[in-house]
Amino acid sequence: MSMDLDLKEGRSRPSLLSSFLTPRAAAASPAILTVLLIPGLVIVAAFFLIPLARVAVEVGNGPEGWGTYLLILTNARYLESLIQTLAMSAGVTMMALVLCAIVGLFLVRNRFAGRSILIGTLTLPLSFPGTVVGFMVIMLAGRQGVIGGLTDAAFGAKLVFAYDIAGLFIGYLYFSIPRVILAVMASAEKLDLQLEEAARSLGASRFRVICDVILPGLMPGLISSGAICFATAMGAFGTAFTLATDIDVLPMVIYTEFTRNANIPVAAALSIVLGLITWACLAAVRSFTGEGKSLPVRGGA
Amino acid sequence: MRRTGVFYAQLGLTILLCLFIVVPIVMSALAGVTVNVFQGLSSGLTLRWIFEVWDLYASSIFLSLWLAIACLFVTLIAGVPLAYVLVRKPGRATRLFEELLTLPVAIPGLALALALLITYGGVSGYRSSWLFILTGHVLFTLPFMVRSVAAVMSAMDMKTLEEGAASLGAGFWRRFFTVIVPNAKPGILAGALMVVTLSVGEFNLTWMLHTPLTKTLPVGLADAYASMRLEIGSAYTLIFFVLIMPLLIVMQLLANRGSKPARATAEDK
Amino acid sequence: MTTSQKQAAQAQDAGTAIALTNCAKTFADGTRALMPFDLSITAGETLVLLGPSGCGKTTILRMIAGLEFPDAGGAIHFGEDDVTRHSIEQRRVGMVFQSYALFPNMTVAENVAYGLKVQKVGKAERDQRVREMLEMMHIDMLADRRVDQLSGGQRQRVALARAIAPRPRVLLLDEPLTALDAKLRVRLRTEINALLRKLGITAIYVTHDQEEAMALGDRIVVMQKGEIAQIGTPQEIYRAPKTPFVADFVGASNCLKVDIENGRALLGRVDVDVSRAWNANPATDGLSEIYFRADGLMLCAPHDAHFTATVEAVSYLGEKLRVTVAGIGNDAVIVDTDPDSVVRLGETVHCRLVPEKLTMFAAN
Repeated sequence: MSMDLDLKEGRSRPSLLSSFLTPRAAAASPAILTVLLIPGLVIVAAFFLIPLARVAVEVGNGPEGWGTYLLILTNARYLESLIQTLAMSAGVTMMALVLCAIVGLFLVRNRFAGRSILIGTLTLPLSFPGTVVGFMVIMLAGRQGVIGGLTDAAFGAKLVFAYDIAGLFIGYLYFSIPRVILAVMASAEKLDLQLEEAARSLGASRFRVICDVILPGLMPGLISSGAICFATAMGAFGTAFTLATDIDVLPMVIYTEFTRNANIPVAAALSIVLGLITWACLAAVRSFTGEGKSLPVRGGA
Repeated sequence: MRRTGVFYAQLGLTILLCLFIVVPIVMSALAGVTVNVFQGLSSGLTLRWIFEVWDLYASSIFLSLWLAIACLFVTLIAGVPLAYVLVRKPGRATRLFEELLTLPVAIPGLALALALLITYGGVSGYRSSWLFILTGHVLFTLPFMVRSVAAVMSAMDMKTLEEGAASLGAGFWRRFFTVIVPNAKPGILAGALMVVTLSVGEFNLTWMLHTPLTKTLPVGLADAYASMRLEIGSAYTLIFFVLIMPLLIVMQLLANRGSKPARATAEDK
Repeated sequence: MTTSQKQAAQAQDAGTAIALTNCAKTFADGTRALMPFDLSITAGETLVLLGPSGCGKTTILRMIAGLEFPDAGGAIHFGEDDVTRHSIEQRRVGMVFQSYALFPNMTVAENVAYGLKVQKVGKAERDQRVREMLEMMHIDMLADRRVDQLSGGQRQRVALARAIAPRPRVLLLDEPLTALDAKLRVRLRTEINALLRKLGITAIYVTHDQEEAMALGDRIVVMQKGEIAQIGTPQEIYRAPKTPFVADFVGASNCLKVDIENGRALLGRVDVDVSRAWNANPATDGLSEIYFRADGLMLCAPHDAHFTATVEAVSYLGEKLRVTVAGIGNDAVIVDTDPDSVVRLGETVHCRLVPEKLTMFAAN
């Protein structure tokens, strides 16, 4: 009994809106549904749709007109920044996926003392702001960092990499691990152990079981968490801001254009392009894995 | 279970990752109570930096807490009914709206903040008040509340429960407040914790939206990292950890309680 | 039965007559779930809607409940009261759902009290009524339990108590026993039967289980593809199915195609007098289909036989031996015999029809 439309109203073909508002027995009346929707609708319309449209138009009013949208491809500095950001995000995503697949599977499959503490620790930075993550990198690899201290003691030379691309990479990895590990563990818990037992009963080696059963089972989870990780990294701002590196990731470029150069059309155009990339990335994966259940937590970006 | 070399290799990697996460946290916590970081712990422990942070930034901490509570209030009022409609009326229009609702999470905060600034930056009374930041926080956290509540609602066969209540004579609002909301409680709770933690830690949007008079905790942190001595930044970070850790721990406990709805919301993270 | 239980039973509305007139149901996507039909249920009657899944029986129940509305032109009356446009919360029905739909946020007692609370019944009276209901369903010791601590059978009882407590005009039961295991199903079936008789309430019961339908119904409505195939007492449905579908659905699943002439079925070298078949009449002369249960055919001595057949399968069922034989007609036929007899696979057996246990239809 999925679509029980009240036909007395003479509506035989539900339009987009009427299917939303047509009465349904034992559900809310259209009036009530509207009341329920109003707060959310107002928020989304007034503070998201209108501003977004406004920005898109604002770009057209700039000195370069609608061509501003193409600047990201034609201007060498912006293009380079885009490529750098893409490469960085892709690299961090791969690294996080590999590490978290191994560790997440391990944590789901084994029970030992201290396991929940390890899980708790790994998911700790889930909602750290990007600035704090940046600060963590400084603590780790900055001038007073642990790594510097250790290398100084061992080799008499301080290893400091917090403020260059390696530091940024470490920072992105830091805030990616909690999200990816949660997603991997969630899909690892859903793996059907009987599949593995079946494969082993057919004589498959441990390695074959991993390749033929476990990895394909984890794949949807890996893909969707990978996409979230990638999108988060693309938009990450706080970490780069704190580390004050000279690497131009796209969010930093936008920030500089907006605040230092007051170049609002360019900042807006770059924002829209960046937004489109991350959204398209998430949407593509969602339609690919057929689930819309995973939301990125961007608190740490 | 037989513990092989593979087990210990994996355990080793896991511990290494944990150290990667936890060492800087401990380091910064210690630095926040050390007399002089450059000399190390041997210079002695002190609460001086904590007090100094309190003097400098107490207002930013209170503003963050206030914002989180206001944000929670708004997302509850808007999000719970929204989740109900999304679950109860699946269809193209609903999916479209859900996608729209989730967009502010997918789009970088910087872009969102820019849009808000360009559109409402001229409304001076609004621009300079904490409400401006609240707007950003609500946009960013609302989807989390909605998803968390919707996950629990769709797991509980709300349609039949509601039909049951209706067959006993209960009208819509009565059903909503006596059956739907109480049974969605795990999702509401998880969503609420999520909203509060995210709001307290939000930086990307807030950095763009804040004014010198509306600094939040993370904005203050960025400020301290950039212009204060390392000890003060560390002490401030320590305060942030103390604030946020209990929330994170409760969230983990909720997720681990094993109840199905809670697990579903846990996956949403 | 205690005095309070008696009072509870007497206080129950004697029941309301229900009439559906010219009701049809077309879903939004254009599929016709129910062809236009009329159906009346007398006060205090238990009517069972029986049919395979997708036949429309649940849609009828939900229409009476007010969870679906008939297409334009249809009307539903509860007694004198036209409820066609009333939604479920205005109809005063009691409903028992397949999944029980107990509220997980409330205790057993709170669940049962819910309908009374909605009706603004005072606390003292409410508590009294809840206690009566729980006692009547033998679950008074579970009053303060949470719903998720109950077994399936206990949930079923709570659901019944909750539906009955506000004294509904009609009790609607949507496959209430499907989720339970076989043994419990039979026990609860008996209990529900006794309860319905005791309360004298009008009840409509949906099931796909013909045994359940026979056991509970004053009348049974057999549904097929959105249409009413037959309405009748259990005896009528069982003994005189009106269509091959009904015959098949109520268990007469053996079918033979035969020629009938003057009340005799021509079966190759023999002909059988079928004039005593349940619904035999001259009109069935010509090509016909004979439907019968496993007892419509019997194994016999060679000289009494109508047919010979080959044994394809044998299953021992305790009180009988069920034998599947091939060679009579196109399909295999099932026949029951003495559990102590010896029948071997592949063996040739002799069988004869039992004319008074056959049902005949003109073949189309």
